[in-house]
Amino acid sequence: MATKLRRFSRSNITKFIAFALTVILVTASVVLVTYLSNRDMNPEAIFVKEYVRSEAFTDGELTHAIADVINHFVNDTESIQPEPEYMFYITDGEKVKSNAGLGEILAQEDYMYLFEKGKWVFGKNTSKNVRIYLGDDITLYLVYPQEYMDQKQEKWNEERKLQLSFLISLLQAGIVSLICVIYLIAVTGRKAGDDEVHLSPYMDKIYSDIQLGVLLLTGLFWALGMENFLWDYHLSEKKPILSMQQVILLVCAGTITALTTIVCGVILLSLVRKIKAGKLLKHSLIGAIFIGISGFIRSFFNDSRFSHYPLTKSLYRRQAIFTAASGGMVFMTFILVLTTRNLFASLVPVVLEGIIIFWYFYENNRTFEEINQGFQESLAEQMKSEKMKVDLITNVSHDLKTPLTSIISYVDLLAKEDLPESARDYVNILAEKSGRLKNIVSDLFDLAKSTSGNLPLELERLDLKKLVEQTLADMEDDIARSGLRIKANLPEMPVYIFSDGKKLYRVFQNVIGNALKYSLQGTRVFIDMVTHDRNVDVSIKNTASYDMDFTAEEVLQRFSRGDKSRSTEGSGLGLSIAESFARACGGSFKVEIDGDQFRVKMGFTTVD
Amino acid sequence: MDTARILVVDDDREIAGAIEKLLKMEGFEVVKAYDGMEALDALVANQVQLIILDIMMPKLDGLSTMMKIRNEKNIPIILLSAKSEDSDKILGLSMGADDYVTKPFNPQELVARVKSHLRRYMQLGDMYNANSSGKIVVGGLCLDTEKAELYVDGEPVKLTAKEFKILELLMRNAGCVFSAEQIYERVWQETAYSVENTVMVHIRRIREKIEINPREPKYLKVVWGIGYKIEKI
Repeated sequence: MATKLRRFSRSNITKFIAFALTVILVTASVVLVTYLSNRDMNPEAIFVKEYVRSEAFTDGELTHAIADVINHFVNDTESIQPEPEYMFYITDGEKVKSNAGLGEILAQEDYMYLFEKGKWVFGKNTSKNVRIYLGDDITLYLVYPQEYMDQKQEKWNEERKLQLSFLISLLQAGIVSLICVIYLIAVTGRKAGDDEVHLSPYMDKIYSDIQLGVLLLTGLFWALGMENFLWDYHLSEKKPILSMQQVILLVCAGTITALTTIVCGVILLSLVRKIKAGKLLKHSLIGAIFIGISGFIRSFFNDSRFSHYPLTKSLYRRQAIFTAASGGMVFMTFILVLTTRNLFASLVPVVLEGIIIFWYFYENNRTFEEINQGFQESLAEQMKSEKMKVDLITNVSHDLKTPLTSIISYVDLLAKEDLPESARDYVNILAEKSGRLKNIVSDLFDLAKSTSGNLPLELERLDLKKLVEQTLADMEDDIARSGLRIKANLPEMPVYIFSDGKKLYRVFQNVIGNALKYSLQGTRVFIDMVTHDRNVDVSIKNTASYDMDFTAEEVLQRFSRGDKSRSTEGSGLGLSIAESFARACGGSFKVEIDGDQFRVKMGFTTVD
Repeated sequence: MDTARILVVDDDREIAGAIEKLLKMEGFEVVKAYDGMEALDALVANQVQLIILDIMMPKLDGLSTMMKIRNEKNIPIILLSAKSEDSDKILGLSMGADDYVTKPFNPQELVARVKSHLRRYMQLGDMYNANSSGKIVVGGLCLDTEKAELYVDGEPVKLTAKEFKILELLMRNAGCVFSAEQIYERVWQETAYSVENTVMVHIRRIREKIEINPREPKYLKVVWGIGYKIEKI
């Protein structure tokens, strides 16, 4: 059950739905608020039940009314335009202005605002929040008639009802989206399979501080935009239908909010994932720069990387001491010159610096000497071991060849003796095997020399196309005997390369010989040569006559034989020698096995 | 032919013994020596027509021995060595050897080489000096352009007209490399178009006629990726 729930809660679909829901709800809420602001609805209606107590009335209607009355009174204007809903009576003891009889006003005492002797006296059903001071000698009676106030209160109630329903929707949306956000924060980076934190390969690659910057900027732009949408358009009248301009405005606000929510949401979740993985700071641009700089600075004082090279280490340390001491001396000179103004005293650090320089160079020269010496020694050692290697190859080869010479010679002599039939067979086998041994020893010697890098090369400019043609012509007998056909696809023009012709002949002879030996009867051997840019590629392809149950690497391994069971001729070193020689001649050599297709690919650099 | 006496020098007694038996079967007289000093002594004691000399020997090595011999005698010397590098062969030949055979050798080939050198030394010594007009001589090859005949170590060899022309071209310019196209255009007198195979076939046939071991030609060589040449000897 728990796993099922986990699989559900961590599935991408659930996460996506939660994310989409949040975006929709947030957008809807913002659009709603924009709509309210454009409808010029006063949110005060939600908080204040009675219109008469609201600021909309007190600071709006009532204050305006008092100001108008005073204006009317002081400036002696004919009347207040437009005709006011209220009744007033104002006097300073001499002058009187009113739009109703005093009796009529006093009749509605509960709704009356009276300013007398510098103080306000309020009726029962009035706002008691008027603070305007009118002067000690002014007496003002002001009444909003009951019918008018009742009417107003009814409107206020309607608005309040409407706004309350909006508020509840907003609250619901807020709660749901908050739950969604909390859920998303909880599950982001988690997968059903394990408890690891999985960072996204795309979003989480961006440095945290860049993400944060984008997040803040997006938020800021959104806030600026919203301010415009919300408060710049007070063109509205209290009409239930919005103007075209306002509709466009709402759509814009919605779109921008949706986009902002998506961007911020994605970034926020990415940051949350990083926090979960504990990589928030480490994976920030500032963090990266800090790590880089601290590594750089540390590298100045950390000589552990030279721990295996004591000479370099001492050089390094001396360098650090020298730099620090010289800096100190310069500083000291400054201080001394500035404070004492004594020439001799300020010369002290200069002399000290001289000593330091002397010490630095003296010691370094010695170290350099030691390094050179060590280098020479290792070079000599290397040369010696190289020479030993060549000597070893030569000696072993000599030691193998000498007894082999005796064997071959005496087998030959034996063959000339008058022998019984069976003994003659044995001698033939001996002759054949000793001949093969001779080939192996000779191939082994060649291979050892070329792999040890001691193959002498005679480099010259030659035509690779011609070389292949010559090789094919040279091997004509072998080709005819094999019963295979060679399909050579060579370029028209000569292909000049700089290489060793004899060695390359050996390469092609071995590779083609190999193809002839191991090809299926009746198939063709393809030789393709293609030039491009400054390279020439040669591929020799044949169809194997047997299961090639080995890899391309194995076939090049010394002594590994393509077909272990059948053939007894050859040394098994042919391809290895070809590879080694081709490499020594400056070419590349690759074997590819694809089903029954055996392909050798070689590449050389052409010259003009 | 008088029975030629051959000096076989090798520190490996079995090899020396084998060569001795091999040569004796062919009717030669053989003197053996097991190091350079012994070889020099043997030369003083015997009248020798050819020397088979190993290079790596105790006391006095083959190359030093050969230089000492060359100071006095001009008899053919075949070097015998396990060193198979080109550089070793070039060194040996340039120090005065007439031939270089690597161990392990094919006994028949060794015998053929011995015979070839002996023929040249004993019968055709005058040929080099004569150098009469119409004859081109390269090593043991002698091409008589007037009679259209080829002698290899004195033995006449039959050549076809084309083979003769190719050989003449290469021998006249011994040491120079000719491409298949050049050879074709001069010998066939036609424009060469993809003639590598044709020329190579002829080269191989010539080789089989003039070389002791066609696989390791001494005279007619392929310069891979460039052309063909007769080695200047």
